Amino acid sequence: MDLINLNTLLFAFKWVFVGLIYFALIVVVIAVRREMGLRLGGGQALPSAAPGRLIVVNPGGAVGIRAGSTIPLRSENSLGAEPDNDIVLEDTFVSGHHARLGWDGAEWWLEDLGSKNGTFVNQRQCRPYKPEPVPPGAALRLGEIKFELAE
Amino acid sequence: MLSRERVSGRGIEALLLFLVVAVLALGLALTSIGLQVRQDLNPVVELPAIVPPVVLVAALLTGAHLLLRRQRRTMEQVLLPVAGLLFALGLIAVFRVRGTEGMWQQLLRGFVPGMGVLMLFIWRPQTVESMRRWTLPLSLVGLALPIATAVFGVVDETGARLSLQLGPLPPIQTSDMVKVALIFFLAWYIEREGNEAAGRARIVFGRLRLPPVRHLIPGGMFVALGTLALVQMQDHGAVLILGILFVGMLYAGFETRIFVTVGLLGLVMTVLVGAVLAFTWEVPTVIRYRFIAFVDPWSEAPLLLDGEPTGITVAQGPGYQIQQSIYATIAGGLSGTGLGLGTPSYVPLAHSDFIYTVVLEEMGAVVGLPVLLLFVVVMLRLLRLAAILPPTQNFERLVLVGVAIHLFTQVFVMVGGTLNLIPLTGVTIPFMSQGGVALFVNLAEIGIAMGLAARLEEARR
Repeated sequence: MDLINLNTLLFAFKWVFVGLIYFALIVVVIAVRREMGLRLGGGQALPSAAPGRLIVVNPGGAVGIRAGSTIPLRSENSLGAEPDNDIVLEDTFVSGHHARLGWDGAEWWLEDLGSKNGTFVNQRQCRPYKPEPVPPGAALRLGEIKFELAE
Repeated sequence: MLSRERVSGRGIEALLLFLVVAVLALGLALTSIGLQVRQDLNPVVELPAIVPPVVLVAALLTGAHLLLRRQRRTMEQVLLPVAGLLFALGLIAVFRVRGTEGMWQQLLRGFVPGMGVLMLFIWRPQTVESMRRWTLPLSLVGLALPIATAVFGVVDETGARLSLQLGPLPPIQTSDMVKVALIFFLAWYIEREGNEAAGRARIVFGRLRLPPVRHLIPGGMFVALGTLALVQMQDHGAVLILGILFVGMLYAGFETRIFVTVGLLGLVMTVLVGAVLAFTWEVPTVIRYRFIAFVDPWSEAPLLLDGEPTGITVAQGPGYQIQQSIYATIAGGLSGTGLGLGTPSYVPLAHSDFIYTVVLEEMGAVVGLPVLLLFVVVMLRLLRLAAILPPTQNFERLVLVGVAIHLFTQVFVMVGGTLNLIPLTGVTIPFMSQGGVALFVNLAEIGIAMGLAARLEEARR
């Protein structure tokens, strides 16, 4: 085989090799971009408006909430007696930072923050510091206050 | 806005995997021809030897792809091909330096078992979540193996004990296992105790929050034992990775104020221990040499061993490797010398630590820079997946963050080392360097991520 022709061929295929790598890189970038666009367009990635609210079933001894009133929820809500909570529950049986309730884009979850009198989902006590899923329509109890999680 | 139909299926993955196999076939063929041309031999006579490896890689990648198709997964189409492309470029470089034998070793000891585990995680994604239960025993085994290596390991020519010989099996390098063990152990421990530790944290010095000390002991013990074993093994690069992993996982697992408090505590203890060590511990020769070579690889100063001159200069001793790496990089330039046409065998350890140098020399910066970009893509995909997992899956999230840190720091440390931007440390470049256990571990990590993506998709359906 003619050596000059071979060198030309090797040179050409070297750039084909490089071209293939760049083609793959461009496809990767397009694929990632496409998926990001889909997520943002679909509104799944940023669950700022969580599809749910709390209905007060029994306000216990809490000041300022009535049975039957609804509390709108964000994607993450802290509940407790201290005024820095998202949802302030001024009740003697509610701890300062009692629990967190959040929406992860697919389901609700609840985490007890080591409260003194416990947090209950459907009459079952949550273990402290272990976030657990909450089914829609579940009955929640913090201290003496009872809620229903409505969609 | 794009419709859902346009991204359903796994078309992008199929296209990318096809490109991966094409790159591998073309790269191996060019290398084989280039090696023959240099010796004025018939250029095509060695070509049949590269067919079986290409077929094997294509078959395994296609197998994983078809498995994903059969299960109707649409998520995460990028991770597998990107890892595959990095592996393909690494395999071409390994073939270039170590020939057919090295290539088969890489395939049979790393790629085939690694793809096996990856496919297991794709086929039964719940395996990934059930690992939570087995974390403690598995991570303790992962800690015990390096300790055993440190005591009973095989001493290699540089005085390091890196490998453990278990009966008739080929020797295995255990330092990658302790990294994975640490990732799993910390993820498991932070999920179990992290929230409670944060909840019970006391406020110290105004704004800092210190968790109870008993929550800090197990993680600290694990890192301390692993570090001692690695120091005994003289694998100082792995110590560095272990440290970065520990700090990174703490950052991911706790809120900033607790991280800062624990970090300051660790800093104070490090300074205290370091002050004691500075007077009592002699810096190992390896570290001292690496640092001298980093400062000036061309130094004509005589090289000292235990205070005695050894008769050679720094440039002839530890500086040689870095000099050759830099010369090779320069020889490669923008577009490389051409596959099989460079002289990477001048660089010691070109197949493992200096694989990136081989890529830079023969494929040039036009391939070297995309390689770095591909690693960035892998890291971003892993972190993104961690971010969209629900808070109830804290363990899985932390594992993903740990994997991302693990892969990226190895690249960072090793590429920086080969270009003499930081002192050289002997770690491997993920997916690329020759090393069966390392490649197996890296592919298994990608498998974990794919399995978690599959579980997320099942939950959303």
